[in-house]
Amino acid sequence: MAALLDRFAPIMSQRDALFGDEGVNPFQVKMDQVLSQTEAMIGGRRTILVGTNNYLGLTFAPEALKAAHEALEACGTGTTGSRVANGTYYGHKELEDTLREFFGKEHAMVFSTGFLANLGILSTLMGPEDYILMDADCHASIYDGVRGSTAQIIRFRHNDAADLDKRLARLADKPGNKLIVIEGIYSMLGDKAPLADIVAVKKKYENVYLLSDEAHSLGVLGKYGRGLPEEVGCEDDVDFIVGTFSKSVGTVGGFCVSNHPQFDILRLMTRAYVFTASLPPSVVASATVNLGLVKNGGALRKRLMRNAQKLHAGLTAIGLKIASENSPVVAVVAPDPMVAVAFWRGLIEAGVYVNLALPPATPYGYSLLRASLCAAHTEEQLDEVIAIFAQVAAKVGLASSPEKQVAERKRIAVG
Amino acid sequence: MNAPTGAEPSPDTLAALFEILKSFNKTGAELAPGTRFSEDLNFDSLVVMEFIAVVEDAFDISVPLNILPDVATIRDLAVAVEKIVAEDKL
Ligand SMILES: Cc1ncc(COP(=O)(O)O)c(C=O)c1O
Repeated sequence: MAALLDRFAPIMSQRDALFGDEGVNPFQVKMDQVLSQTEAMIGGRRTILVGTNNYLGLTFAPEALKAAHEALEACGTGTTGSRVANGTYYGHKELEDTLREFFGKEHAMVFSTGFLANLGILSTLMGPEDYILMDADCHASIYDGVRGSTAQIIRFRHNDAADLDKRLARLADKPGNKLIVIEGIYSMLGDKAPLADIVAVKKKYENVYLLSDEAHSLGVLGKYGRGLPEEVGCEDDVDFIVGTFSKSVGTVGGFCVSNHPQFDILRLMTRAYVFTASLPPSVVASATVNLGLVKNGGALRKRLMRNAQKLHAGLTAIGLKIASENSPVVAVVAPDPMVAVAFWRGLIEAGVYVNLALPPATPYGYSLLRASLCAAHTEEQLDEVIAIFAQVAAKVGLASSPEKQVAERKRIAVG
Repeated sequence: MNAPTGAEPSPDTLAALFEILKSFNKTGAELAPGTRFSEDLNFDSLVVMEFIAVVEDAFDISVPLNILPDVATIRDLAVAVEKIVAEDKL
């Protein structure tokens, strides 16, 4: 008789080979003290955090802290119930109103996490006669969501509107609704969806809806932070926006907004909404306040992008292969998982935290050191981060020669 | 190896799949109708996805993810592909 988890044996041996030794396990990092949005004590060392998805640095916004404290005192530590039972307080309604106003949409539904929002919406929206066409690089929560759907699930090539077009054309004569599922910014490489092209394809066919997960673009793109649809100017063409409060909004929770007239029935039909406890009031209060800061966060967005450009340029100059462009995510490609782990450990031991991302969780089978910027990073912190990257890159053999680095820096400076 | 599941696919469909599989066959397993993707060819979820994308291009079809749990062997896939091609013609 095989042991219960024997089917994971190949993964276990891979894990042990990669980081079963004495070194720090990249997937078991513990922050002993949180110093600020951008620094924490890890392993007794002051560490600069460059992998938090805390894009706007709102986790310590004084306005949100105050509102959270007040809600905590007024309503307690938790609701102990589902949104459809005893778990909807005035704060949850106020948050949904805030979302409706923020996005200019008729309906808003708040979930306990972004993962649950995708799980709930995607498993419920489309029926047995319908089709879901999803970008192949979509997040795990989207994959898990569509798995629970009774619709036919079709993947199109990542960011390839022509491939989507081809697949919609094949379905053109079939009855049933079609739902295109994309993300505004894809989490691993930080690349944007070709939204204008996708909307153009959508408009060629009948009964096609579009859902965009704006997890990484909310607060990051658009003058008012409404994400890629705002930036591209096609908000009316995106029928459903899913998002999370766990990144730029700086807390936890998920949502879906839409103008669809029948949207409200989803509150009864979506199991991931009905059968789980609602967010605690303090979290709801911080999300509500932070959405206001996101909306008026133009200056933060500028700082975020300036920081991203600085890190991007600094790491490029070292000779590292960067798989992202003009994005708050800067993904460094390592040649294989072994080198990636060695690189990651070198960084953490020198006081820099980034995300380690390995296949199969990455596109193209990349082994990635995924950095994400924060508006609150200072120039000095980023200089330190770049210097440490340079040292570690040299140690693991990924830096180009010093002469080449000087030349590259000059080239970048000249622009 | 699995027993055939229902109809036998045409030799042409099988041959086309064998041709595509050549570049995916890292274990050097023999390619036969009953060859299993997971056990014999060692395909993980990522390879399955890449492979299916190439099959979709070759046959100009979309293979819904829903059918994948029922596809264990090359024969299973060939039957599924033929079914989709036939449905697309309707
Ligand atoms: C694209 C995408 N969707 C959804 C989620 C899930 O969000 P949450 O952390 O709120 O569960 C994430 C983050 O992990 C994500 O990257």
